[in-house]
Amino acid sequence: MPRLIAHATGAALGLLILSGHTLACSSQEATTRLTFSGSALGPEADVVQRQLARFAERHPEVRVELQVTPDSADQRHQLFVQWLNAHAATPDVLQLDVIWIAEFAAAGWILPLDGFESGIDDFLPASVATARWRGALYAIPWFVDVGMLYWRTDLLDRAPRSLIELRQDALRVREAKSARLGLVWQGARYEGLITVFLEHLAAFGGGILDDRGRVIVDDPAAIRALTFMANAVNVDRVVPSSALTWQEEQVRFAFQNGEAAFMRNWPYAWALLQDESRSRVARRFAVAPFPAGEGGQPAAALGGAQLAINTRSAHPMLAAELVAFLTAPDQMIERARLTAQLPPRRSLYDNAELVAALPMPLEQVRPILEAAVPRPATPVYSELSEVLQVWIHRALTGQEPPAVALQQAAREMRAVLVRAGLSTEGPTR
Amino acid sequence: MNHGTASIERAETRLAWLLVAPALAVIVLVSLVPIAVTGWDALHVHDLRLPWLGRPFIGAGNFVEAVNDPRFRAALLHTVAFALISVPLELVLGLGLAVMLHSATRGRAFVRVSALLPWAIPTVVAALLWRFMFDAQTGILAASFRTLGVVGPAFDWFVHPLAAWLPIIAADVWKTTPFVAILLLAGLQTIDPVLGEAAQIDGAGPVRRFFTITVPLLAPALVVAAAFRMLDALRLFDLAYVVTGGGPGSATEPVSLYAFITLMQRLRFGYGSALSITVFLLTFAFALVWVRLLGRSLTGARS
Repeated sequence: MPRLIAHATGAALGLLILSGHTLACSSQEATTRLTFSGSALGPEADVVQRQLARFAERHPEVRVELQVTPDSADQRHQLFVQWLNAHAATPDVLQLDVIWIAEFAAAGWILPLDGFESGIDDFLPASVATARWRGALYAIPWFVDVGMLYWRTDLLDRAPRSLIELRQDALRVREAKSARLGLVWQGARYEGLITVFLEHLAAFGGGILDDRGRVIVDDPAAIRALTFMANAVNVDRVVPSSALTWQEEQVRFAFQNGEAAFMRNWPYAWALLQDESRSRVARRFAVAPFPAGEGGQPAAALGGAQLAINTRSAHPMLAAELVAFLTAPDQMIERARLTAQLPPRRSLYDNAELVAALPMPLEQVRPILEAAVPRPATPVYSELSEVLQVWIHRALTGQEPPAVALQQAAREMRAVLVRAGLSTEGPTR
Repeated sequence: MNHGTASIERAETRLAWLLVAPALAVIVLVSLVPIAVTGWDALHVHDLRLPWLGRPFIGAGNFVEAVNDPRFRAALLHTVAFALISVPLELVLGLGLAVMLHSATRGRAFVRVSALLPWAIPTVVAALLWRFMFDAQTGILAASFRTLGVVGPAFDWFVHPLAAWLPIIAADVWKTTPFVAILLLAGLQTIDPVLGEAAQIDGAGPVRRFFTITVPLLAPALVVAAAFRMLDALRLFDLAYVVTGGGPGSATEPVSLYAFITLMQRLRFGYGSALSITVFLLTFAFALVWVRLLGRSLTGARS
């Protein structure tokens, strides 16, 4: 940790010279104001306030303020974009969703964090991939979210090892009437649908963009993936058609009430499902990576939050120290204990303190983290996602065949990239 | 014309302009200026996410993109179809309700207030109410339709591209029929009952009296009610946003919702402004034509 702080400080000094500020500037003032902006919902507020206060104790000259933003990711994104577009100097440190980093970096709204490079190897590679834009590091992973397959240990002997097994197990459970529904996932037209699609894509060896940023959602692998999803809903009916209107919570309710054999959801559901006063499946479930289909890998869509520094910040050096402090192992373990959010530092997963802090068994979580797949790092991610959401939802609700839907989606996505000046590729290949 | 009266008239005209000036200024400030700013934005590339593109002037580029955008064309179709289906329903039901309210003799005030209740409920609340009633898991209407065998056991209203319109249209009709009824009730009360009595003496039955006396004399009120409702329906936003979110896919997405997504989610201010301007022009054109027709029908009724 001291090494990281030293690096962070070095980087921050570099930034300092760049932005033309002097150290004297901040120390002459009685108090320097540093603003942190992020979500503060329930236990998150508690842990953030606690850690910010601890940081302020170490820096008596600094007054750290928490600028609370809306809990809805879309609203927070909109607010940040408006502030940064208007060149606001606060907040100094921003909590960004993994899918916004490239957008903010390309717009020049957040600072490159070269000083953190040397310590970055400890972080999950998938999560670092989302923190980079054109090779440079712009954010430090704070906590990670991974999509996981919850399965009922009372109905099944083991987790499915392939998508074919998953489908067969779901059909069998439904026929035996031991559960009304086979598999439930987030099928409403929103970002969650993309994470489910991403796991199916990876399962069949496909992707959304390739390494060079070209759209590949109309590849045969992607068409196989979406066809599998559409068949699960409309042909086998292992996924209820109502799931096409469900987000995380409705999916959790179905599984929690014992109606489904499998559920695809995030780690937050674990603690709620173990609550015997509300859950009918307490101690009767386990988690596993979403299994592979033909030609692919088990996959876990990666979400979570990262910390970045406002380009216009008046105190970039202090801001870098705050980022280093908040992403240090001690703070991550405390956060895991209080909010059950998974830390992105791989070394912590051998740490007895973390094992004790997390409610879920690490031996089940580890293979899921290893299977983590990032969503594409591109400045126009949200727009590409919105286009894809509409077309996938059309295919799943039977308005278009999967192949046609993906060809149309790819065409529109290529147009978005061309308009943004990120590609010169034509609409079709 | 006398010299004195002319100058008095001029002075009065000046005074008149002076007196309306504050109102005019407010209209310009709160209505014309924002429209002009939006119109100006619509002629530029203005993408909050892509500051490196700058804000170049592209003339009608955004409007050309809109014309070639299948999702926009579909949204336009959705909006017009929604207006053409829901407004006539509201007029017919509103007329029936108005006649009932008009002939109610006992507890008039109570009947009128209770008929108006749906109109008094905020649109978002009404929208949620209808969404819950059609919810496949817990909705009372969804369950009733299943029990009656209208739909299959696994049917979900919000997953079917056409069925998803029903909750939206039902909510709109339920909520705004009372408004239409109140407008028409006012019209009914201006009709001299003597006309009906005279026709009755001449041997006209109630149906004949309704169609040859009540409806023609109610025409001005009907035209006003239809204008209000059409303008509202063409701007459909909140119901679609809350009840279906525009889905499944974009099967129930009206123009205003698409413009909102373009502006507030995609943060494409230029293109989003162009879409908003198109909605504005659509309703404005309708209002213009309708007011012309309305004016003619009203003067025609007078002469």
